[in-house]
Amino acid sequence: MRTVIALIRRNLKLFFKDKGMFFTSLITPVILLVLYVTFLGNVYRDSFTPNLHGSFSLSDSLIDGLVCGQLISSILAVSCVTVAFCANFLMVQDKANGIIKDLKISPVNSSMLSMSYYIASLLSTLTICFAATGICLAYAAFVGCYMSAADVLLLLLDVLLLALFGTALSSIINFFLSTQGQISAVGTIISAGYGFLCGAYMPISSFGTGLQKALSFLPGTYGTSLVRNHAMQGALVEMNRQGVPMEVIEEIKDSLDCNLYFFEHQVGIPSMYIILGGTIVILIGIYIFLNVMRKGIRK
Amino acid sequence: MKEIIKIDHLYKSFGDVKAVHDLSFHVKEGELFAFLGVNGAGKSTTINIMCGQMSKDNGSVIIDGHNLDYDSDAIKRKLGVVFQNSVLDAALSVYDNLESRAALYGIVGKVFRDRLSVLSEMLKFEDILKRPVGKLSGGQRRRIDIARALFHNPKILILDEPTTGLDPQTRKILWNVISDFRKTENMTVFLTTHYMEEASEADYVVIIDDGKVSAEGTPLELKNDYTGDYITLYGISQDEIKLLGTEYEAIKDAYRLFVPNTRAATEIIIKNPELFHDYEITKGKMDDVFLAVTGKKLVGGVEK
Repeated sequence: MRTVIALIRRNLKLFFKDKGMFFTSLITPVILLVLYVTFLGNVYRDSFTPNLHGSFSLSDSLIDGLVCGQLISSILAVSCVTVAFCANFLMVQDKANGIIKDLKISPVNSSMLSMSYYIASLLSTLTICFAATGICLAYAAFVGCYMSAADVLLLLLDVLLLALFGTALSSIINFFLSTQGQISAVGTIISAGYGFLCGAYMPISSFGTGLQKALSFLPGTYGTSLVRNHAMQGALVEMNRQGVPMEVIEEIKDSLDCNLYFFEHQVGIPSMYIILGGTIVILIGIYIFLNVMRKGIRK
Repeated sequence: MKEIIKIDHLYKSFGDVKAVHDLSFHVKEGELFAFLGVNGAGKSTTINIMCGQMSKDNGSVIIDGHNLDYDSDAIKRKLGVVFQNSVLDAALSVYDNLESRAALYGIVGKVFRDRLSVLSEMLKFEDILKRPVGKLSGGQRRRIDIARALFHNPKILILDEPTTGLDPQTRKILWNVISDFRKTENMTVFLTTHYMEEASEADYVVIIDDGKVSAEGTPLELKNDYTGDYITLYGISQDEIKLLGTEYEAIKDAYRLFVPNTRAATEIIIKNPELFHDYEITKGKMDDVFLAVTGKKLVGGVEK
């Protein structure tokens, strides 16, 4: 156990000391923040305002709360996965620069090495994502996001689950990588692509029907929806309190991916948790299986 | 003397390329063993198999009584390896690097600090413990590589071209430390190098080519078997040297004769005592042995 702890400490130190890796992991949340602050926030604000102000009397702070909920849910949903990938690139870097040889000539079990990479990546991801959650919640408190204590706790649970999901997914993909070029390629694809695939940059409801159906097979979309539900729940309840009928609120929830559908069947929040939790268990199982298989092949 | 490494009929191929082909050699405990060959000869493949980094196709590898097929973890505890290129974490300090690597062998806490104190004094790196490894000079980094390899007190130290690119002073420090360890711990040193003067200090030398042993023996045996002697004659004219009827070359202020062995040199001297006032007899060098055995010169590990 002491060996695993020492390896986890080594991996954590390397991640936080390697400025390249650390700052790369922050690029996606920063880009999202800049996009929202510069124009995306206004786009959403403008899309809410004419649709709702004409029929109902909504305060500006409520509109700001809706936009803020969308902003922080997008940032957190994407960050948990992209940060996990960047943190887990250490596994590939060790292969690329030959350091893995130095670790493997010791009697340390290869499963210990794999476990240390997973736990260290998870801890790095959680450190950054919980810090990001703190900043987002402070911003929400400043703008007025109408989140209850229960929403905040559930949001933290969502971040934890998404970090577990991102770390497990990145462990499997990174298992097959071994060069710096591959790190760059996968890093770019994940940073650029995951936000679209999980519905963080643009709601999945705004995509074509075929694409929506395809994306409903990806468990990451349910993670995004969980975060979005808990970040926006308070504002939506307040909207109802200010006189907006439930039918209209349900339409808004559909348009923002708070409601997700798997072939016309609405997926409830408990089901989303089951899907995300089950996916985490399956991905970790695959990662263990890959390591066992590799050990068998080497023998 | 006990044989600490026994490699018999080792085979390893990569597709059609036979990297190691029926390779057999034994290493005695406590000896400095030199394993020579040009790049691609099969040295690294053999070392990787010994360290459990690569599977073998066939053959047996027994290290300190442990069979690699059944007891690779026990073998890993016996081996310390200094790789050709440093494989420490450049971003971490010397202390952090050694702490994380020592933990791989279960060396933590006070045991770690005590061992660090001994090694840092021997290898003279007490003053750079907090410096990141990436900011060290080549010589400093090599000392840390060796400290890492020696941390768990291995019985066998594998040095894969350890002194390449180092200044003479650092090379001397490293060899002094290794020599001390050999004396005090009876440590076996398994060396690959392209510095033939280092190989000539070995107790036993194996030269491999195309994955097979081409020659083996002590440096003296190899020199006797594969090279002749040189007689360097001073204060003599070219006309006089021609009288000896032996192959020669002019060098600065002298002529050098090539003779098959020391006996032949003695015979020439006895027959022509009037010419031999100022002379020296030297054995051939390991470079000559390598060239004679493989038909290749070992310059920077590259075939010439």
